Amino acid sequence: MARTDIGPPDYRLMLPETITSNYGKWKYHEILKPGVMKHVSETGDELYTVRAGSPRLVSIDFIRDICDIADKYCDGHLRFTSRFNIELMTPKKENVDGIIGDLKKLGLPIGGIGDCISNIVHTQGWIHCHSAATDASGLVKSIMDELYEYFTEFKLHAKLRIAVACCINMCGAVHCSDLAVVGIHTTPPKVNHEKLASTCEIPSVIASCPTGAIRRHSDKNINSVEVREERCMYCGNCYTVCPSMPLADPDGDGVAIYVGGKVSNSRKPPMFSRLAVPFIPNNPPRWPEVTSILKKIVEVYARDSKKYERLGEWIQRIGWERFFALTNIPFTEQHIDDFTYATETFRATTQFKW
Amino acid sequence: MASINLHGNSYEVDEDGFLQEPDKWTEDVAKAMAEMEGITDLNETHWKVMNYLRDYFKQNGIAPMVRKLTKDTGVNLKEMYELFPQGPANSACKWAGLPKPTGCV
Ligand code: SF4
Ligand code: SF4
Repeated sequence: MARTDIGPPDYRLMLPETITSNYGKWKYHEILKPGVMKHVSETGDELYTVRAGSPRLVSIDFIRDICDIADKYCDGHLRFTSRFNIELMTPKKENVDGIIGDLKKLGLPIGGIGDCISNIVHTQGWIHCHSAATDASGLVKSIMDELYEYFTEFKLHAKLRIAVACCINMCGAVHCSDLAVVGIHTTPPKVNHEKLASTCEIPSVIASCPTGAIRRHSDKNINSVEVREERCMYCGNCYTVCPSMPLADPDGDGVAIYVGGKVSNSRKPPMFSRLAVPFIPNNPPRWPEVTSILKKIVEVYARDSKKYERLGEWIQRIGWERFFALTNIPFTEQHIDDFTYATETFRATTQFKW
Repeated sequence: MASINLHGNSYEVDEDGFLQEPDKWTEDVAKAMAEMEGITDLNETHWKVMNYLRDYFKQNGIAPMVRKLTKDTGVNLKEMYELFPQGPANSACKWAGLPKPTGCV
């Protein structure tokens, strides 16, 4: 039998020599220009890092191309960041331009370090997942094309994180990003009564619904479930546990946009992102309505924020009514929370701006 | 929808080989499915686990949690994987004719 439970290879076996010999001894770092960093060690050693964007979903040929660059300039070493960017590191300053040149030849943008929009954390979409309400790769490419200059240049007062999830399972980081795009449905599931009992565990299906909309079929002879549609908010959780309750719908599916989340503890505590635009229908392949709203929010934020201020901190300072006024986004009934802890989100003060 | 032939009878299954017509399950179906995964003789413990799964499903409408399964049958998880090559969900439940496990598996 093949060996099992061996875990991943030890990362220490794959470190560049400069990192091994200076591990835990770094003194400071500098961002030299977009996409290029220098770390200086107590021993006096220097390490230059070039960061490039990647589409995350890549072919093996693509990985081999990156490996060739690593062989040429970095003794065969490279790494991927937690936002799927590629980093090539070298102790030799004179290698930096060569690395940049070769990465650009592959069509990869150099950037993503410092006060910019780095790569978009995203999911499977129509490429691979069965519960997607929108696509991931297509949306991400459209958004990054629109905001390209924010990746390769410093045009912001702080980092701005964007994430995309194709359903409200929210794989990834949409709930804690400055800008987030989430796939949502707007129609209730259609129950396949013939198949349900043989493909699903009925008690699990009933328990999966956050609003208690599912109950056993009222006709005792039908071994299936019923959805009380006035209680359903189309989360799709029942479909996740039961393949006989599909709800994807090309006309009803689309995305919602959330804003103002962050995970770091600098200045203010971490925050969840909150609803800015309740629904935009899917419009592949370029989702122009989505990209134009995101661009608008980024531009207003870039203009109006102060140094170091993350998007959520900016909104806290100016207030939500100013945010909606400045970005021209209409405030609708859907913006008002009506789930378990809704009261905490209501305004319990007379303070507001006209 | 795919179907498989087991000892001359045809059964509707999904793409992972889970039975789509639970009423058609017999011990021979379990034996034939086990054979496809390389287990030719089902022993007493195999049957203890599968009968427990079937009873539990009949009574509760769901498959038991792994913890409940191991506690009630006295077969620990390591032994479970020795008996059922792909584990309690993908082998034991499949051979016993239960619906395919769902969620983010
Ligand atoms: S967010 Fe939803 S649709 Fe997208 S990969 Fe995760 S579970 Fe699948
Ligand atoms: S889609 Fe969500 S709210 Fe609607 S019935 Fe299914 S689990 Fe309940």
